[in-house]
Amino acid sequence: MTDIRQVATSIASLQRHLESHHYICSEQIATAVFLAFHLRKPVLIEGPPGVGKTELAKTTAAMFDLPLIRLQCYEGLDEAKALYEWKYGKQLLYTQVLKQTLDEVLQGAKGFAESVRRLHEFGDIFFSEEFLEARPLLKALQAENGCVLLIDEVDKSDHEFESLLLELLSDYQVSIPEIGTVKAKREPPLVFLTSNNTREISDALKRRCLHLYIPFPDVKLEQRIVQARVPEIPDQLREQLVAFIHKLRDMDLKKVPSISETIDWARTLLLLHAERLDPAVVRDTMNVILKFQEDIDSVQPQLPAMMR
Amino acid sequence: MDVVLTSFIRALRNADVRVSTSETLDAFNTVQLVGYDDRARLKRALSLVLPKTVDEKTAFDVCFDRFFARRPLRALADEGDGSIEAPASPALAPNSSLGQLLMRGNTMEINIEMHAAGERANVQRIEVFTQKGVYTQRMLDAMGGAELQHEVAALAQSTDQSTTSGSRQLGTELAHRRDWLREMIRGYVEEQFLLHADVTGRRLREDLLRNVRMASIDARHRRLVQDTVRRMARRLVAAYSRRRKIFRRGQLHLPRTLRHNMKYDDAIFDLKWKSSRVDRPRVFAICDVSGSVANYASFMLMFLYSLDEVLPKVRSFAFSSDLGEVSALFQQHPIDEAMALTLQQYGKGSTDYGRALADFSRLCLDEIDKKTTIILLGDGRNNFGDPRLDLMKQLYDRSQRLIWLNPEPRSIWNTGDSEMRHFAAYCHQVDECSTLAQLERFVGGLLRHSR
Repeated sequence: MTDIRQVATSIASLQRHLESHHYICSEQIATAVFLAFHLRKPVLIEGPPGVGKTELAKTTAAMFDLPLIRLQCYEGLDEAKALYEWKYGKQLLYTQVLKQTLDEVLQGAKGFAESVRRLHEFGDIFFSEEFLEARPLLKALQAENGCVLLIDEVDKSDHEFESLLLELLSDYQVSIPEIGTVKAKREPPLVFLTSNNTREISDALKRRCLHLYIPFPDVKLEQRIVQARVPEIPDQLREQLVAFIHKLRDMDLKKVPSISETIDWARTLLLLHAERLDPAVVRDTMNVILKFQEDIDSVQPQLPAMMR
Repeated sequence: MDVVLTSFIRALRNADVRVSTSETLDAFNTVQLVGYDDRARLKRALSLVLPKTVDEKTAFDVCFDRFFARRPLRALADEGDGSIEAPASPALAPNSSLGQLLMRGNTMEINIEMHAAGERANVQRIEVFTQKGVYTQRMLDAMGGAELQHEVAALAQSTDQSTTSGSRQLGTELAHRRDWLREMIRGYVEEQFLLHADVTGRRLREDLLRNVRMASIDARHRRLVQDTVRRMARRLVAAYSRRRKIFRRGQLHLPRTLRHNMKYDDAIFDLKWKSSRVDRPRVFAICDVSGSVANYASFMLMFLYSLDEVLPKVRSFAFSSDLGEVSALFQQHPIDEAMALTLQQYGKGSTDYGRALADFSRLCLDEIDKKTTIILLGDGRNNFGDPRLDLMKQLYDRSQRLIWLNPEPRSIWNTGDSEMRHFAAYCHQVDECSTLAQLERFVGGLLRHSR
């Protein structure tokens, strides 16, 4: 098992370990993981789609050898699906079973008041941890040796859900009315939230998080990323491909290609045994990197000029 | 507490990066973790903790570089002609403490003194650039400049035979060093001004502008006003842009409850409440751009334009007598051009509300339903024409809300040819709206209403 503390001694060491898990990152990103680990703060990751926001959380989990618990957000997500729910079926079953023992319990009780008192002695057994169905957030708190909690696309959820997260993010605890407060076990989870910025996240949430913005990488970094992910690709092709993608990002497109698309494209070209980029190859494989017909139409005529 | 960090955070706040107390504490912990020694690392680490949006990160970068660029002051010896050397005549020493300090020529010492003087003179409070001279002088005084001045003057007039040449030399030397010090202080004040003031100044102006009548705001402040207006419109959008559900707790939705609880053998565990979806309202905004409101028109259009930029379902109209839709115009052109074009196309002629309302009804009465909000911007002065109140009533009945914003002060409504009294009867809400503060209050009210 990897020794977590050893890995997280310095920013450089973290960067190295992330790289050994094929996640090539800037120092900024490594610093974010470093601070998140040492300050015990959640990280809110923003950036254009496909720059590796989710991947960072996954890789961190793999690097620290921790389980990854993932919560995908969507409009209408509520606490029953994110936090906890009662196991109604089990409660029902137990009620049926207990009906028979009820007579024994109440045997010899005189009057209503005493019956009620005896029942009280049982306590709220139906609302105890036994009957609690843990959902991702609660699961993350209950993880014995810590875990990585990924709350994906938090901007897709409702405002109410954000408020629900506040207690968890600041104190690593949740309050369940019937039971009380559930605190994190020995190691609080390492929390990553990702957002595509489709709406502003509330200040209260931001205040509790470190804020990491991942932009598109520069040419050098992207080359290294492609090399790490698609090591078989020839050097010359890799250089051409990354340069081409960067030219595309400077154009006015509906959706600019992201890193994941660069990697897909590299794999595609490898599969086609392309040695180098030429307009014909690009034209044939363009639908891998551009996802709108309008974009493809606007790039097509400029291809020869861009390839020079 | 860490003085460097707190003053850096103050500078950040000045640069419009919002930093809360808890974030300040985080920053302290961060600094303890990474230390001050590696500046690039410190910058990366703090940029995760303090700024929380992309815009703020840009501001942070600028601010960090500027703040920590306050390097240990250039060594005295590097200055110009190498005038600062060991004193020529060590036998003669100046009496004033500042003089002694300068003659020792220890940059570190001078540096420390200068910062202390800066604190004493409250340089951080500097607000506008005209104060630079004052603060430079104040700092010099705080360091004992007056005393030095006397000494230099005295040395120059010294008549004592035996020491004349020596004291003259000392005098020029001191004067020289004093000038050098003044330059240093000026540089220091300049830096402090950039860090602490240029934004305070802006905030001051913004505050002033908010309460000035829009018509009298100078054209050169337009940009500031635009920013404020845009921010306002964006707040509106935050409230409107999502579809929300309103739950009526207490009213059981029986069919859904039963259906949902079937799996529990009809034991009712999960209650379902009645709810209704709140739809995003459609907004129709109508703006009077005739001569009588010409001064306000540009601001109203600015608000309209910003609204259009951020709200997806706004349709904008402009009129003086003939009314026409300008939504397309707004979408195709940048703000200045769009405003100019609107004024050019619709701004001629005198106001005729009756005709405008008739045009509006003809264009889109059919589209107005219970989800529609109509915002009318105008002074309600109809040149004694027929106000067509019947059409107004129709709009009032059909729409969800009809809001009238009047740029005139309430006291002169209903005077002369103003028909506000009659129009107001058919509005859900009538507000005076001649300053940005009022506009903001209106927007705030609208937001409250929509919750």
